[in-house]
Amino acid sequence: MTELKRYYAPTSLDQAVECLKGGNVTILAGGTDLTPQSQAGRIKFRETLMNIRHIPQMSGITLEGKEIRIGALATITEIMEHPLVREHLPALVEACDHFASDQIRNAGTIGGNICNASPAGDTLVPLLVLDACVELASMPETKLYRHCMPISTFFTGSGKTRKSLCELVTGVRIPVPAAGHVSRFYKHGTRPALDISTISIGVAGNLKDGVLSNVRVAFGAVAPTPLRATATESALEGRHLDAATIEAAAVAARDEVNPIDDVRATAWYRKEMIHNMTKRMLENVAQA
Amino acid sequence: MTVAEKKHRIIEPDSLIGKRIPKMDAPDKASGRTRYIHDIDLPGQLHGKILRSARIHALIKSIDTSAAKALPGVHVVITAADIPDQRPIGVAKDHFPLKVGRVRSERDEIAAVAAESEEIAEAALKLIKVEYEDLPVIGNPEDSIKPDAVLIHPEPHGADGTHLHLKQGTSIAHRGKADNVAMRFDYAHGDVVQGEAESDAVVEDTFKLHYVTHCCMGVSGMIAEFDAAGNVQMYSNTQVPFLHKREFAEYLNIDPARIRIIQPPIGGGFGSKLDIYPFEVICLYLARAAKRPVKMLFTREEEFLASPTRQPVLLTLRSGCKKDGTLTFRTVHTLHDNGAYTSWGATTPFVMMQTFSSLYRVPHCDYHTAAVYTNNPYAGSFRGYGNLQATFAIEQHMDMLAAKIGMDPLEFRMKNAQDAGEVTGQGMSFKSCGFKECITTAASRSDFARKFAENQANQKKPGNIKRGIGMASMLHVGGGAKIYPSDGCGTILKMDDFANVTLITGASEIGQGSETVLSQLVCEELGLPISAITVVNNDTAITPWDVGVHASRTTFIAGNSAIGAAKKAKGKILAVAAKKFDCTEADLDLRGGFVIRAASGEALVELSKLLRNLHFQEKAELVMTTFYYEPPSVHQDKGFKGDVSAAYAWGNQVVEIEVDTDTGFIRLLKVTGAHDVGRVLNRLGIEGQIEGGVVMGQGYAFTEDLMIEDGKMKNPNFRDYKLVTAPEIPEMDIAFIESMDGEGPQGAKGVGEAPSICMAAAAANAIANATGTRMFELPFTPEKVYRALHGQTPKRYWKPWKAE
Repeated sequence: MTELKRYYAPTSLDQAVECLKGGNVTILAGGTDLTPQSQAGRIKFRETLMNIRHIPQMSGITLEGKEIRIGALATITEIMEHPLVREHLPALVEACDHFASDQIRNAGTIGGNICNASPAGDTLVPLLVLDACVELASMPETKLYRHCMPISTFFTGSGKTRKSLCELVTGVRIPVPAAGHVSRFYKHGTRPALDISTISIGVAGNLKDGVLSNVRVAFGAVAPTPLRATATESALEGRHLDAATIEAAAVAARDEVNPIDDVRATAWYRKEMIHNMTKRMLENVAQA
Repeated sequence: MTVAEKKHRIIEPDSLIGKRIPKMDAPDKASGRTRYIHDIDLPGQLHGKILRSARIHALIKSIDTSAAKALPGVHVVITAADIPDQRPIGVAKDHFPLKVGRVRSERDEIAAVAAESEEIAEAALKLIKVEYEDLPVIGNPEDSIKPDAVLIHPEPHGADGTHLHLKQGTSIAHRGKADNVAMRFDYAHGDVVQGEAESDAVVEDTFKLHYVTHCCMGVSGMIAEFDAAGNVQMYSNTQVPFLHKREFAEYLNIDPARIRIIQPPIGGGFGSKLDIYPFEVICLYLARAAKRPVKMLFTREEEFLASPTRQPVLLTLRSGCKKDGTLTFRTVHTLHDNGAYTSWGATTPFVMMQTFSSLYRVPHCDYHTAAVYTNNPYAGSFRGYGNLQATFAIEQHMDMLAAKIGMDPLEFRMKNAQDAGEVTGQGMSFKSCGFKECITTAASRSDFARKFAENQANQKKPGNIKRGIGMASMLHVGGGAKIYPSDGCGTILKMDDFANVTLITGASEIGQGSETVLSQLVCEELGLPISAITVVNNDTAITPWDVGVHASRTTFIAGNSAIGAAKKAKGKILAVAAKKFDCTEADLDLRGGFVIRAASGEALVELSKLLRNLHFQEKAELVMTTFYYEPPSVHQDKGFKGDVSAAYAWGNQVVEIEVDTDTGFIRLLKVTGAHDVGRVLNRLGIEGQIEGGVVMGQGYAFTEDLMIEDGKMKNPNFRDYKLVTAPEIPEMDIAFIESMDGEGPQGAKGVGEAPSICMAAAAANAIANATGTRMFELPFTPEKVYRALHGQTPKRYWKPWKAE
């Protein structure tokens, strides 16, 4: 019933990207998106199903210079429990804590969450406000080629990214935040677990003497991709986080998103929540 | 043990009643050993699949099954044209299992395939070509009653545009219907005009109740098999095997004696298996045509699309009271969205009107329902059977009327609550009634009065978190419901040479714990431990007749039946023992597996020994008894009046919530319930049943919403249809009021449906208490609550409409 002809489980990155050269490959990691989507007929298997779980270069969470590198195969549970992440990236921990259910977190990987490119992908908003870069590997000729791309430019549409069929996401790199850095994440779902975001909000920046700088704000589930909220960032950059600034930023946030109506919420409610919860998060930052 | 010791052995009195007895099926279910229908495979079995409509409302112009038939592995492909003797099913006989000439809803069955595997059957469905001609879609009941509305059941024409291959008959499926009114109910007592004239306060509001569905964890399924002689054996999840045996025989045009229904353990019922659905009849057609067993199982998506829903209702209620708090009248008009076909949902007014007429004393009541056809899903029976909908409206009006005359809502309820001994305007006679004790118990255990006043004072204070407390009461049948010619249940009881009992009962176990409760009642009579009993309850060829699992009747009716059989067995045993010990039967009793002297508890003989002596003698005898229990209830008259149940269950639940006014999120903090259950039989079982019912009511109130737009279901999956998950379940404090019903088994009443009824109504009252905002439409999802709090919910008014 499917075109699937070959199963391949490479044990090195070179093998994996070499296999990708032909482009006719479906990549399997945790399978928590691929399985339901293929069963529902939304995804058709390509000729080769490649299981990437046995590639050592794609696992682990490590400090590399001034960056934290999270391998694409790191599961949501691993990320949530890792000391480096817990110490430096609280917004990412918060997102992992609201990610699906324990069972899915144990299997689902961050690489999969990135490549699935859902506008409501739980880890994507914190990665955006943490200035993450996506590591890509490919084999244009005979040699392994690796490069990084800022995650803010990675998503091109719902389920669409700049990654070509010949490329593999091997990990994400996040700069270790400086002292005074604050970050927050909020997921608006109707229940504590097993929910798709109605909206999600990430806020980060350096807080000094009540002034927020190097501000990053990102929203999920309000557009075809998770996105950086540049107008909201401008409303906050370099300003004292007082009531007027916070309200102006919340209004800017509501005005710059253009969500849709769907089974989870109407556009109107999404805009209201962007306003109310951006405000609540900023008030929380101001009190920190 | 020496002879001397044995002579002096005293058996102390003990009782199983009120104890915490684990459900007999629990170890198997908890360890994954239970064999549901999904786990059963018969040799030579084929797999059946159904092709459903690609349109909501359309004429079927042609069906081409040739490619599907040609697919290797396909045994049978059928459409309506292949079943010339097809008969309409359903409560109003307006529904052909395989659709003839026309589809009326998204779930409609067009063709079916039996194949070697599910995959082949699925592939065959994709090869069937259907041509449609679209018709206008009626997506809501208000449009259905407009004068120019398209008819959902016009005079039917076959695929060839004629009546040629349609069997003539008098059903709606055959003759059609000249309007879209599927059913109507009109009830009255007193004179509402006079009632309104006597009123000091009157309120009128429109309430809108939404679609939810049962979400049984075990999806629907069945296996059908014909033997060489033409006898049918069905493995079915039905909760009414004996009524369905007769009905299936009618649909197959065979003698009911040829049908045997075996019920494997059922993965959830809640009322959903009270009617026959097209897939079951289609599975029989496939098995008949294939001459092989055919198994049909729904996918989860199909379970959403093609199993019944709770009845959605649009309801306008006008209520009044005097300054002193006496209720004066109620006028009720409802518009039931019947969907495309008629199942039990259309008959929920039977229950709804009882709540309006008799939960509180109301001297004047006028009730009207029209159930009208649309192209939406159709509703079946669902735990509570219309009572959740009725209670949602009534109990909000109780708070609103109380507020209007400046009376405390608790006092207002107590003033109008029924007492034991009352006969209502509808003819219901309350022989046992712990209603007032339910109200006062739930109120005092939740500290209702203090919290209600505090929350009200807090409404206008700053802060986005508001607390609320609200209460609602319920009345439901608790001693069966006399709907059919008999509301009874039969029992066969046999005892073996080791004093083990086999209880053969007509009552089906659908997870509610009936086999455990029935076992308790029998063992209590016979003085045996619960381990001494085996229950047989799942085969129409073995078990005696029972009307089915509905109306919270099984503990009451099947319980009395089991006790009747046990008492006969006990009588026989004691008669034998009295002869042996040269005393009267009244001097003896059964206890702890012995025949004892009633006065002293002295053990006289082991029961097993006595039974063996009886068996292995010249005039050999076994202890085997039968009993049929028919409750002393009556059928309603043509005006829906009459004492339809042998007992009535009462309850009151108090809901405490926290509302975040910035988001509309509601946290359900605590539910305090007090239920008049007659008497607690199995404490563990009844706690589970009440807690489960509360959670089901919670889902109805807050999270569950089957979204239908122009006949199309938007969320047929557990991602977007939100059942309550474990962390959302609130703290519960449940009290049992034991009113010791005179007719009930050991004093008990049925409470299967009771606990789900109050939640939505109490939640609405709690939201009003927290925020000052009344919500008239379910469910209370964050967005709906937020909109209401921010003035974005226009007040709906449905002008009462009565079918001609």
